[in-house]
Amino acid sequence: MSMFSIGLSGLNAAQNALNTTSNNISNVYTPGYNRELTLLGEQQSAGGGVQVNDIQRQFDHYVADQLNAAGSKSSALQSYQTQVSQIDNLLADQDAGLAPLMQDFFSSLEDLASSPSDPAARQGVIGAADTLSAQFRSFDGYLRDMQSGIDSNIRDEITQINNSADQIANLNREIALAKAKTGKAPNGLLNQRDQLVAELNERVDVRLTIQESGTYNLSIGNGQPIVAGTRSFSLEAMSSSADPTRTVVGYNDSAGNQVELDEDAITGGALGGLLTFRSETLDKTQNQIGQLAVSLATAFNEQHQAGFDLNGDPGEAMFDVGQPRAFSNENNAGSATIDAAFGDVDQLTTGDYDLVVTDAAAGEFEITRRDTGERVTATLDGSDQLNVGGVVVTIGDAGTLADGDRFQLQPTRQAAGGLENRISEPAQLAAGQGGGSGDNENALALQDLQDSLLVGGGATLSGAYAAIVGDVGNRTNIVQANLSAQQGLTEQLEAVQQSESGVNLDEEAANLIRYQQFYQANAKVIQTGSTIMDAILGLR
Amino acid sequence: MRISTVTMYEQSMNSLNQQQGEFMRVGQQIATGRKVVNPSDDPQAASRAVQVAQSMSVTQQYTDSRISARNALSQEESVLNSVSDAIASAKTLMIQAASDTLSDADRASVASDLRGVYETVIGQANATDGNGRHLFGGYQDASEPFVRAADGTVSYVGDTNTREQRIDASRLMQVTDNGQTIFQSVHSSAGYVAEADAGNSGSLTFKGPQVIDESDPDFGNSFQIEFSVTGGTTTYSVDGGPAQAYEEGEPVEVGGLSITLKGQPADGDSIEMGKAENMNTDLFKTFEKALAVLDQPAGNDAEKAARANTINTVMREFDNSLDNVLTVRASVGSRLNELNVVDGVADNRQLNYTETYSNLIGDLSDPANFAEVVSQYSLRQVSLQAAQKAFVDIKGMSLFDRM
Repeated sequence: MSMFSIGLSGLNAAQNALNTTSNNISNVYTPGYNRELTLLGEQQSAGGGVQVNDIQRQFDHYVADQLNAAGSKSSALQSYQTQVSQIDNLLADQDAGLAPLMQDFFSSLEDLASSPSDPAARQGVIGAADTLSAQFRSFDGYLRDMQSGIDSNIRDEITQINNSADQIANLNREIALAKAKTGKAPNGLLNQRDQLVAELNERVDVRLTIQESGTYNLSIGNGQPIVAGTRSFSLEAMSSSADPTRTVVGYNDSAGNQVELDEDAITGGALGGLLTFRSETLDKTQNQIGQLAVSLATAFNEQHQAGFDLNGDPGEAMFDVGQPRAFSNENNAGSATIDAAFGDVDQLTTGDYDLVVTDAAAGEFEITRRDTGERVTATLDGSDQLNVGGVVVTIGDAGTLADGDRFQLQPTRQAAGGLENRISEPAQLAAGQGGGSGDNENALALQDLQDSLLVGGGATLSGAYAAIVGDVGNRTNIVQANLSAQQGLTEQLEAVQQSESGVNLDEEAANLIRYQQFYQANAKVIQTGSTIMDAILGLR
Repeated sequence: MRISTVTMYEQSMNSLNQQQGEFMRVGQQIATGRKVVNPSDDPQAASRAVQVAQSMSVTQQYTDSRISARNALSQEESVLNSVSDAIASAKTLMIQAASDTLSDADRASVASDLRGVYETVIGQANATDGNGRHLFGGYQDASEPFVRAADGTVSYVGDTNTREQRIDASRLMQVTDNGQTIFQSVHSSAGYVAEADAGNSGSLTFKGPQVIDESDPDFGNSFQIEFSVTGGTTTYSVDGGPAQAYEEGEPVEVGGLSITLKGQPADGDSIEMGKAENMNTDLFKTFEKALAVLDQPAGNDAEKAARANTINTVMREFDNSLDNVLTVRASVGSRLNELNVVDGVADNRQLNYTETYSNLIGDLSDPANFAEVVSQYSLRQVSLQAAQKAFVDIKGMSLFDRM
């Protein structure tokens, strides 16, 4: 073996190393890029020289897994925070909130009590009641817009997840093919696949299992595979069987069946954040506002109906309010229907309820409050009715109930959206209790409602509203704290991952100089060889 | 540890972002004028602020209520003032009319003065507030509470309700008085009134009655003294009791009362005595009675006696009515006083609430809060500038620059 071939191997190695360095430099800001090292080795054949053993990708699966999990939690909290701060901001507006409008309403009642027959005072009450009920509706409308916003977000996320899963399955195939051809997996494809897994984790928490062949398998929820080798299984946005107005995540399994995924099973990624926010905060806030609306409407209607208007007629109901909503599950074996109406409003809660038939023949139900998990059993009474948290539930065709049939009850979800002032004629306001035009007794009684414990039998209207503000504030606060903690952790893990896989330009600059010298030295070897050759050839 | 270029860049960016966020937050606090902008800034304070704002609003409601209560009571007070003036001048006129030296023509002119006073009182009794609502009709404030029939008699068509207003959390205050209480009642402590029967035909006049013994078992009852003249002997009996001899000028004592009688009663004449509240309590009837006798010239002794007796009774009734109006006025006055007291208490309370509220939301009009936020603002500004400087410096340090 000659100096020429040794020098040549050196030149070759130097070129490879320079290429690697250049590649590192050019990809310094490429997301998902992992720094590469040129691994050199001695040539084992006779005569020596250097060879390039491998262009090695600096990638640590263990750190990547940790980072993915942390990123998944971060983005769940991020999407939760984005949503919850919208409610937080809504409540921050002191002038447009419900509290000042409730105060205005009661002030107008005070005016009415001061001059019960004054048309201006009467018009004032009607105006304040209109504004108050409109604000309830607009508050609820805002929350409802958020609900439909979440539905379409879920749809978008699912489309993206399906795309990523598809691409990962494709990459699995391509990597296997390339490996079969060259015996080595191409770094670029590996980077791409790992990057896709990281991105997928930001959308939903997936579990990664790496097969011996190096193929990635991914599963979500309770272990449903979405990538298995070169196959991917799609998710689909579907309406919930328990509540058709709600978009949930469906899974198309290998047999072609669509399965509704349990909302609790998906907690990570933007999708998980959305689902958690919806069931933990959005539903509850909407229910709380609804409960407030029902309590207000019921108490005012009762008191107003106890009075008499300017024409001497008994007062009419003052407010309309949205009725409780109940659904029978699409998958029920029986065909029984469900109907719900408000009962004892004092017992109303802010929870939704699942009703499951445990003994169809006896009409026995297990009732679970969804937000607290509290369970009770109840049996239908003679008129096929049940009392669930202040709501009277009537089962139609109770004879057709089957064991395991499910129903969902949402007592106050749409109550605030339906709050409407029914009184438009000033003379219709029942300010008195039958005494005459100067009678203000009922106006006083209406005004006194502001101090009565109307909501859930334990809070005043403003107290209940304060509780909502405190609740949302707390939740936002907690999510923000968790988010910044999780972001700190993620940043730390990113730094760890980067310290292994990231490119440092200073280091690469040094390498550039190093490999340039390496190249020049090897060129010198060849030149020396040539000089020696020339010397020999020059001998005469 | 190896630091990648991306890490350096990202860490600088993160700290820039964080500093910028903090800076913006303080900026927002200054712009909104409060430290607690969103409920999440301090959930407990935000929630309590809602409650305190409610208390402030309720306190304000009661303050507004007191303003309209004061308004109503002041109107009533001024009406009662002119009513009491009117009754006092009616009494003066009656004293004038009582004089025997007055000619019938003079008396007619007194009567015309008295009629003027009467009209004034009726006008005041039907007074309205700024909204055209009648002050003294009870709950029936839409129409005049005192109506005059074709025969000139005035009757009350309002009701006996009085409107109340909540002027403080635990105080319902009566802000009106009905016409019946003011114009058709006498105070329960008003004394005795005697009235000669309208059909009397003798020249009997009376003086009194005076109370001489409140411990008499019959004290407080009404009595009817009836006279009978048989064969030149005049006797009287009380409430159908045994007949007793009548002696002119001698006081008759019954049930703790004493009444002095003069003149000669005719057979069947009678005098009734009773507590004021059991006799005529209607101010308008009193006026009508007075006007009726003043308009009529008195020719004979019997007519003169009837006039003297009526004037006597009417003066007592005016006294009692005046007392009654003054009593109501005093009660209005004390209610107005109470309003002032409650105003003071409420102002104090409102001040406390305002302070609590401004503490809860960290109101920047409080110098302490303002100073804190402004110092935060400069602090954040410095931190942000430092982060920016660090970013520029780090980006400027590259080996490539030195090759």
